[in-house]
Amino acid sequence: MADRKLFVASHAPFWHNGSGVSSRSFNMILAAMPAVIMGIMQFGASALGVVALSVSSAMLWELLMNRLMKRPVSIGDGNAAVIGLIFGMLLPSVMPWWAILTGTFIAIVVGKQIFGGIGCNPLNPSLVAVAILTLSWNSLLDFDEALLNFDPGFYMVYPLGALKHFGVSAISNYNIQDLIMGRQSGGIGSTFGLGLIIGGVYLIARGHIRWEISVSFLAGIFLTSWIFNIADPSKYTGPVFHVFTGYTLIGAFFLATEDSSSPVNFIPMLLYGFIGGIITILIRNIGAFADGTVFAILMMNIANPLLDRIKPRAMGKGIEYA
Amino acid sequence: MKLKTEKTIAFFFAGALLIVGIVCYAAFPQRSPDMPVRIMFKSLAGNVLFSHTEHVSEDYYGYECTDCHHYYDEEDPGSISCSECHMTESDEDEDIPKRSDAMHSQCIDCHKESGGGPDECSECHVQ
Repeated sequence: MADRKLFVASHAPFWHNGSGVSSRSFNMILAAMPAVIMGIMQFGASALGVVALSVSSAMLWELLMNRLMKRPVSIGDGNAAVIGLIFGMLLPSVMPWWAILTGTFIAIVVGKQIFGGIGCNPLNPSLVAVAILTLSWNSLLDFDEALLNFDPGFYMVYPLGALKHFGVSAISNYNIQDLIMGRQSGGIGSTFGLGLIIGGVYLIARGHIRWEISVSFLAGIFLTSWIFNIADPSKYTGPVFHVFTGYTLIGAFFLATEDSSSPVNFIPMLLYGFIGGIITILIRNIGAFADGTVFAILMMNIANPLLDRIKPRAMGKGIEYA
Repeated sequence: MKLKTEKTIAFFFAGALLIVGIVCYAAFPQRSPDMPVRIMFKSLAGNVLFSHTEHVSEDYYGYECTDCHHYYDEEDPGSISCSECHMTESDEDEDIPKRSDAMHSQCIDCHKESGGGPDECSECHVQ
């Protein structure tokens, strides 16, 4: 026992690099701008109204909750603005004002604040709101029905709806360039594929989101839709169409990567994204909804704590009963 | 950035965007255009999305109004809507075909004349 040496570790003088929640929120908003601006250009002033009301009402719900719960005012960190912005990006450009207020209430109050605020929410708040609105007022989020009177000069049938209801032959009207450039029906900020990729790569490069989640989510989508396509090409379309339609790209870069509802360890992140992609395609191809991204990511949010149990063993930890 | 500054900026943007949102909703309310672009026919058998623009556009079918709307009043375009006379099953008038029959006859007969089908309900109805 006399030879036993004590390992002494001291607390490091950590250096804060100056970034914080507000900086992250600012970068998220910045990264979303290409897709949002393109959406507003495509769908006009009504889209601007939806996004503006969504962001502002989300911030005001947060402020109201701060006051009611006697907590410090937290809208300065920009997290509520990000939740409102992402929620607005998922909506069609025609949305009643009361539905937006209801949606942001669900996102901020039900999705975030009742769990304890930022960092404590088990589910992505924007997705909780979209899921509840979808189940409560399905026609409001049916892009074909909501955008009946829009004639922006391109084919305005919702691509995933056409695929779901009329099969592979119905998607011959779409070409990949149009889909990438946002010339398709869909959510205000979820149609411009190129803008979402640019925003996503920027966030990955700045370290605000994890590439493991985005890449594995897209890999899950790609691989599963490819397998379906090989199994029956007359019934299931190929992976490229799935990647550039619906909520796929906004899901990969802005939804699945939400901090507190996604895993932190390497293997869990890969599993979380990959299984999320698989479930998305399963819902699209054999499920009830045209786009499965919302429910797939919410399901993976629920699985998140379980997945995060797969973690590296602490170095130097003794095995008691070896 | 100091917390107080962040809070001030957030208050400013929340207020400014609220005003922008209200102005957009007030100044650009959603109005149906005089001539519909697309029409969603609601049906128990599954909704049908009908592109009115494609049917009247010279680049597509190029039909005249009277090719489909058999009671056409130029003075009152609203009166030519199908549902003005063709009612749903519950409000059916014996002398006038109910809406689903009128639509089926109008759409299917015309498409079959040009050899385009449809052969299955699911070619039009979302099921």
